Amino acid sequence: MNLVRAELLKIRTTSTWWVFGLIALPLWALTLLVNWVSANATLNLDPAEAGLDADQAEQVRVASESVNVASNLYTSGQFFGVLVVMLLAAIVVTNEFFHQTATTTFLVTPRRESVIVAKLVASVLLGLVFWLITTVLNLVLVPFILNALDVGVQLGEPAVWRAVGLNALAYALWAVLGVGAGVLIRSQLGATITLSTVYVIGYLGAATIFALLTPRIGDWFGKLQVLVPPLASQLMISGTELPGNPPRWVGALVLVGYAAVAGLLGTWLTKKRDIT
Amino acid sequence: MTAASEEIVVSHLTKHYRQLRAVDNLSFTVRPGRVTGFLGPNGAGKTTTLRMMLGLVRPTSGTATFSGVAYTDLDQPIRHVGAVLEASSAHKGRSGINHLRVICASAGLPRQAADEALARVGLSPAAKRKFKGYSLGMKQRLGIAAALLGDPRVLILDEPANGLDPEGIRWMRDLLKSLAAEGRTVLVSSHLLGEMQQLADDVVIIAAGQLIRQGPVEEVLGSMSGVSHVRVRTPKPAELSAALAAEQATVATLPDEALMVTGLDAARIGHIAFTAGIELHELTGERADLEQVFLQLTAGKAGIR
Repeated sequence: MNLVRAELLKIRTTSTWWVFGLIALPLWALTLLVNWVSANATLNLDPAEAGLDADQAEQVRVASESVNVASNLYTSGQFFGVLVVMLLAAIVVTNEFFHQTATTTFLVTPRRESVIVAKLVASVLLGLVFWLITTVLNLVLVPFILNALDVGVQLGEPAVWRAVGLNALAYALWAVLGVGAGVLIRSQLGATITLSTVYVIGYLGAATIFALLTPRIGDWFGKLQVLVPPLASQLMISGTELPGNPPRWVGALVLVGYAAVAGLLGTWLTKKRDIT
Repeated sequence: MTAASEEIVVSHLTKHYRQLRAVDNLSFTVRPGRVTGFLGPNGAGKTTTLRMMLGLVRPTSGTATFSGVAYTDLDQPIRHVGAVLEASSAHKGRSGINHLRVICASAGLPRQAADEALARVGLSPAAKRKFKGYSLGMKQRLGIAAALLGDPRVLILDEPANGLDPEGIRWMRDLLKSLAAEGRTVLVSSHLLGEMQQLADDVVIIAAGQLIRQGPVEEVLGSMSGVSHVRVRTPKPAELSAALAAEQATVATLPDEALMVTGLDAARIGHIAFTAGIELHELTGERADLEQVFLQLTAGKAGIR
């Protein structure tokens, strides 16, 4: 508990967190705008006219159900939000090496696994703060958007709240991934650049590859999309089950798996390494 | 805690990095109530040894214990052992006081401990300044404040005099001496020998990862007494030389006409001159200093391996 307090104090006593917060805010606004535009398009699309096959038409029909449009809007900001949280969590670790504070930290607490656990807890709390802020902003603004789209506010729907809750889980899990990545890539700059690149390029690249190859290889291949972390966390926040996609809990399970591997590997490496 | 329990015992400590034996079967003890200098040329393995003692680097074999307990097994280690390992070990964007408060929070120490430690090293006026605005001397002081937070009985400092101005070095010397006088165990590594001669009670000298000599400074210097000289000035150098030569001393004439006498101490030379009725203008014992001893002991064991 002392260690978690200390980690939170470390975060609070430097400027990184609010600088990242300031970066996250316009990115949240951007995703909200994009979601608004795409919701508008989905609602106005008539599957019969667009020349889609039966499966695609079914997907579009479900996606345009009010509850799914609402879920998507109420969880706006996730795409960049979890990226920012992951980077902050990675920096919580890489800072110790960049500023050579690892020596002091491990002198105070020679049981290094406790330090990593404290960093995981503190980063998860930080991730939840980012989730809370974007969620509150969404809850305030999205009802106006839904009204403009002629869809009710949908706040009575359990599916919407489940999406919001799973969104919190996504923020927490990305924070854990960040800590694990920070241990693996101890260079501050290296970790930041690698993670952002892999996240954005990986997301776009994976989406493209799956779109191109699934028709040739088969539907089972398309279902493997969920193994790509950003796609997994997006699946988690869909309102109801989307046809042709794995169930939401699979997305959660995939992220939990990545987070567990990153966290355990990171702890093991930290215990083993010499601090020089 | 009893006095004996504050001893540091390093036993057969060894660290191999692939081909290099950075520290090679090193054993020594550090006693409480004294300042012990840990000396060696650059690359001798001083820092690696200290880091192994503190559980930061895993030894290939061997142990180091405080009160018979390994550092990593100590309950709340910073209440037992305070360490200053490198000057630049705080986040550049964090203030000095916050740096100490983070350590207090981790160790469960009260917040005031941070203010007290900062006051003790004279940094209170710069408490809220960010670390990147500190001079090298201020960084060293902050490091020492961090080491003192838990009021430890043992202090370990790696090259604390690095980057300090003469006033800072004097302050450091006085602080470490007073800490030892309180009965604490103080181990200070350095390659600055002149400073160590004024500060240390005991020395541990290593080179190429191996122990060369350990013991009280006087004893280590005494072991080299064969090379100590006495400088003598007299208006009658020829007569004095003859009188001293009769007592088996070796006498050489220095460029400034003074005599350099080897083989007799100052008191004996004074007595011989007095008995012979020879006037003396100067009689100075020039003891072997630590630097000479050190260079002699570590000769041929270069730092680059």
